[in-house]
Amino acid sequence: MALIEVVDLDKEYVNEEVVTPVLHGLNFKIEKGEFVAIMGPSGSGKSTLMHILGFLDKLSKGKFVFDGKDVSTLTDDELAEMRSKSVGFVFQAFNLLPRTTVLENVILPLIYTKMSEKERMSKSKAALSSVGLDHRLQFVPSQLSGGEKQRVAIARALVNEPAVIFADEPTGNLDSKSGLQVMQILQELNEEGHTIILVTHEKYTAEHAKRILRIRDGELVGDEIVNNRQIANGAKELIK
Amino acid sequence: MNFTPIRLAYNALSAQKTRTILTILGMSIGIAVVITIMAAGKGLDYMVMGQLEIFSPNTITVEVKVPATKKTSNDNAMGIATGITITTLKDKDLDTVLKHPNVSAAYGFVMGQAVVKYQNETKTSLLFGEGYNLQEVEKFAIDSGRLFTQDEEDSLTQVAVLGSKMSELLFGQENAVGKTVYIKGKPFRVVGVAAKRGAVLGMDMDKMIVLPAKTMQRRILGIDYYQEIIAKVIDRTQIKQTVADLEQSLRENHDITDPNKDDFAVNTMEEAAKMLSSVVNGLTLLLVALVCVSLLVGGVGIMNIMYVSVTERTYEIGLRKALGAKSKDILMQFLFEAIILTVAGGIFGIISGALLALVIYFIATSYNYTWLYSVPLSSIFLAIGFSAAIGLIFGIYPAKKAASLNPMEALRRE
Repeated sequence: MALIEVVDLDKEYVNEEVVTPVLHGLNFKIEKGEFVAIMGPSGSGKSTLMHILGFLDKLSKGKFVFDGKDVSTLTDDELAEMRSKSVGFVFQAFNLLPRTTVLENVILPLIYTKMSEKERMSKSKAALSSVGLDHRLQFVPSQLSGGEKQRVAIARALVNEPAVIFADEPTGNLDSKSGLQVMQILQELNEEGHTIILVTHEKYTAEHAKRILRIRDGELVGDEIVNNRQIANGAKELIK
Repeated sequence: MNFTPIRLAYNALSAQKTRTILTILGMSIGIAVVITIMAAGKGLDYMVMGQLEIFSPNTITVEVKVPATKKTSNDNAMGIATGITITTLKDKDLDTVLKHPNVSAAYGFVMGQAVVKYQNETKTSLLFGEGYNLQEVEKFAIDSGRLFTQDEEDSLTQVAVLGSKMSELLFGQENAVGKTVYIKGKPFRVVGVAAKRGAVLGMDMDKMIVLPAKTMQRRILGIDYYQEIIAKVIDRTQIKQTVADLEQSLRENHDITDPNKDDFAVNTMEEAAKMLSSVVNGLTLLLVALVCVSLLVGGVGIMNIMYVSVTERTYEIGLRKALGAKSKDILMQFLFEAIILTVAGGIFGIISGALLALVIYFIATSYNYTWLYSVPLSSIFLAIGFSAAIGLIFGIYPAKKAASLNPMEALRRE
C-alpha cells in the first residue's frame, strides 16, 4: 500500500469570485521510504502541491489517501493533528522563532503532542545531535549561520518522528557548501528509512532524490527515476 | 492539569522582553491613574467634609453688610474690601441676640492683624477676637492651659490663646503658657495653646492668635463694634423664625424701616454649608469625568498595544500552526499571555497608584490640610476589571483572527 496516493487532484483559489486554477488532474503514488523531488519552474504549483500533501492546505477536487486513510475532507483541527503526528517541514526561509533558543525551537512541534517534558527534552536533544548541533543548544537563531539554521529546522522536522519530511527549496538561501551539507543530511535520513519529499526548481538539487515528479502549469508532465543520482558526501565532515 | 499553555505564554513573553515591559507599563499607567484620582477624590472629600463639620447647623451669624446690596453680592464684598466700614454692630445688638428665647449662647467677633513679639522672634499674626463662651457655640479645643474667662473679657485683661503653629513659631518646643508676648507693642499673657485645627477654606487656623473680643476691640483696634455676631440656637426647627425675629429686632436697634437699607445680614450656617457642598458636588463630578477620561485613554492604550503585538505575530501563529498547533492551542497561549500581562500590569498599577496617592497625601498634609490617605477598593476593582476586559478582548480577538488563517498564509506575513 502506498504511503501517499493522489487521484484526480484539483486545486483552485477563489478570490472575490475570480477562480484561479493552480493544480489540475494530478495522479501519482509515493511509497514509504522513497526520496521524491517535485520539480518545476516558479508558478508551476509545486509549492501548492507540497502544502496539500503536507496538510497545510486543502484540495478542491479529487482524492488524497495518506497511509490508507482518505484525508481529502479533514477539518482544520484534524489537519493540525496530521501535521503534528505525520509530517515535518523544512522551509527555504528556515522559519525559526526569533529570540528563542535552538533547543526550544526544536521542542516546539512536541509541545502540541501529549508527551512528558523529559521525553520532549531527550528527543529534541537527540534530533539536534543527529544534525551535529549538540554544542548550539542554548544559542538563538541570530547567532547561527544559514547552514546551522537549516540544520536546526531539519532537527525540528525530525523530532516528532514523522512519516514524511517535506523540504521546500531547503538550499535556496544557502551557500553551496551549506547546501551540500543539507542535502547530505536528507540523503542520510532517507537511507535510515525516512520518506523525503523535496520541492525545488533546480535540476541539480532535484537529482539528489531518487525520483523526480515534474510539474508545469499545474499538471504532472513527467515522473522518472533518477539515473545519475548526485550523492552529497564528504560534507558531513565539514559539520563536525 | 496541563501547564503547557502557561509555559508557552511565558516563553513567548520572555522572548519579547521590550514589548512585554512596554505592555505592562502601559497597563499599569492606566490603572495607576484611575487609582490615584479616585484616592485623591476620597482625600479631598474627607477634607471638605471635615470643613463642613465646623459649620454647625445650629449656628446663626449676623454679619455687617453695606446697605442696599445683596448679602452675598460682589457689591457688598467690594464695598467692605475697599474700605466701607460698618460700625453699627455693637454690644446692644449682641444683647438683643442673647435675649432671644431660641438662642442659647452668642458672642461678638472681630478680626485683625498685628505684629507679635516674643524675645527675638517677631511674627505677623492673624488676630481673632472671640467670646469667652466660644466653646459653647463652636468646636474649639485647647491643647494646654485654658481659654480666657468672662471676667477677663469684661475687664479687658490682656490675655491670649495661641494657635499651635504660632506657639511653635514663637516658643519652639517651650511651653508658651504663662509667658508674655507683645501684640502691637502691648504685653499679653498667654493663657492657653489651641489644639491643631488645620486649614479652613485656605486659612491656616493654627497660625492665629485668639484674644477676648472686647480686649481686642478696645486695646488693639480702638473700636467698639463687631464684624460679626455668632449665635447658637436651641431648636433647629425654629431657625427660620429666629432669623426673622432677629432681623426685626436689629432693624429696630438700628432705626431701619426699609429692609433694603439693612446694614447687617442674618445668615444660617446651613446656607453656607449648602454653598460649600454644591462646590464639592461640582468637584466630585469633575473627578468622575477625569476617571472616565483616564479609563478611556488607558483603555485605548492597552487596546493598541495588545492589538499591535498580536497582529505583528501572525507569522509566529502561522509557524506554530504549521508545526501542529490547533487554533485552540494558539488561543490558549494568547489568553494566558493576556492574563499574565494583565496581572503584572495590575500589580504594578496598584502599587504605583497607591504610592502616588501617598505622595499627594504628604503634599496635602504639608499644606496643613486634613487629608485622608485611602485607596478605595472600588477603584482597584474598576481599574483592574476595565483593563483586564480590554486586555483580554484585544489580546484574543486578533489572535483568534490570525489562528483561523491558513497556516501558510499566516507564515507569509512576516
